[in-house]
Amino acid sequence: MAEDEAFFDPTVKKKKKKKKATFDVDAALAEGNDNLDGNVISGENESAPTAEDGDDNNADIDLDFTKQKKKKKKKPFNTDDLESALNEVKDDNATNDGGNQEDELIEDDFDLDFNKLKKKKKSKKKDLDEIMAEVDEKTEDKENVDDNSTTWLGSDRDYTYEELLNRAFEIMRYKNPDMASGKKQKFVMRPPQVVKIGAKKTSFANFTEICTTLHRQPKHLLDFLLAELGTSGSVDGNSQLIIKGRFQQKQIENVLRRYIKEYVTCHTCRSPDTILQKDTRLFFLQCETCGSRCSVASIKSGFQAVTSKRAAMRAKTA
Amino acid sequence: MSIQNLNTFDPFADASKGADDDVQDGLVHIRIQQRNGRKTLTTVQGLSSEYDLKKIVRACKKEFACNGTVIEHPEYGEVLQLQGDQRENICQWLTKAGLAKPDQLKVHGF
Repeated sequence: MAEDEAFFDPTVKKKKKKKKATFDVDAALAEGNDNLDGNVISGENESAPTAEDGDDNNADIDLDFTKQKKKKKKKPFNTDDLESALNEVKDDNATNDGGNQEDELIEDDFDLDFNKLKKKKKSKKKDLDEIMAEVDEKTEDKENVDDNSTTWLGSDRDYTYEELLNRAFEIMRYKNPDMASGKKQKFVMRPPQVVKIGAKKTSFANFTEICTTLHRQPKHLLDFLLAELGTSGSVDGNSQLIIKGRFQQKQIENVLRRYIKEYVTCHTCRSPDTILQKDTRLFFLQCETCGSRCSVASIKSGFQAVTSKRAAMRAKTA
Repeated sequence: MSIQNLNTFDPFADASKGADDDVQDGLVHIRIQQRNGRKTLTTVQGLSSEYDLKKIVRACKKEFACNGTVIEHPEYGEVLQLQGDQRENICQWLTKAGLAKPDQLKVHGF
């Protein structure tokens, strides 16, 4: 167990360091998966051993290292593809559109277009030259789009999905330059520190700290954690949470991720800048960024099976 | 052609139907609980009472090679209880058997 954790940690850190610049909340939302996912990815991580420098506490954790990993790997060839595709578009634009669209389609087969655009955004962070180049490209691109539209006017054929999607994203990026430069707000937080106490209890050391970073009442998070884990527990004198049962850090991480998805990030715009209000027995999530307000599920522990010794319980009650 | 206004309408029809699964949207909650040592229990709450839970648990026991039982709960109705961590298994099995759609399943726990 201990080895497992030790192995798990450095990879996490590694990823953290690399991916600080990226935005994760959406991936966190997309995720919701088990630790299986995380394990697989961490297994294929390339250079873990260097990261064992014990800055456990200082490092910030991204909520979802897995998705980004994948994205990063795919990035390089994708931008190339994109550029080549763009070039092709430019070249062939005058002659005939049919051919190059097929090319584009083929290239895109293995990857969603959405991802591609995301990668484009990210690659911009790489270096300034690329940024400039891409900006140029984009302007040209826009002209291209216009050209295309004019050619479409004449030809009376249907637009392909790719064309429309590209066009939509071009317009979007043109109208919101902030978003295009990948300056989305990232949501980074420290990893939960989970320590075993004896054989039967687990301590969640930085519980209150995590509550403050999430801007949530400790009681609310406590209720959620205990309901999800199906155990009992309490906050002790030095503001750590003691949970009954044995839990590992990644398990707690999973539950936290689910909490953040449900009760912290805005369901509309995914911004973590939200307020949780109680209104007539219902909890409402008010977003500070987009102003949306929606109700969230109440925390219910549901059915709890009897796990302690029945004889002991009977002795207690009788 | 019938006139709709003259039809009798029972406003409590769906209320009485949805009473036994505690949640309004018919979610099936799959939870895990730790027992002593590395042992765990999986509980399945919210399956429709139209199904015969005893038959379901019999099939599950055979399929997952674990023991299990049906527990009658005053608030939550009949709850399936299986030994061990059967969350993945039960999710797949319920969808395969067509007892619940994947979006109706809600898996709790770590």
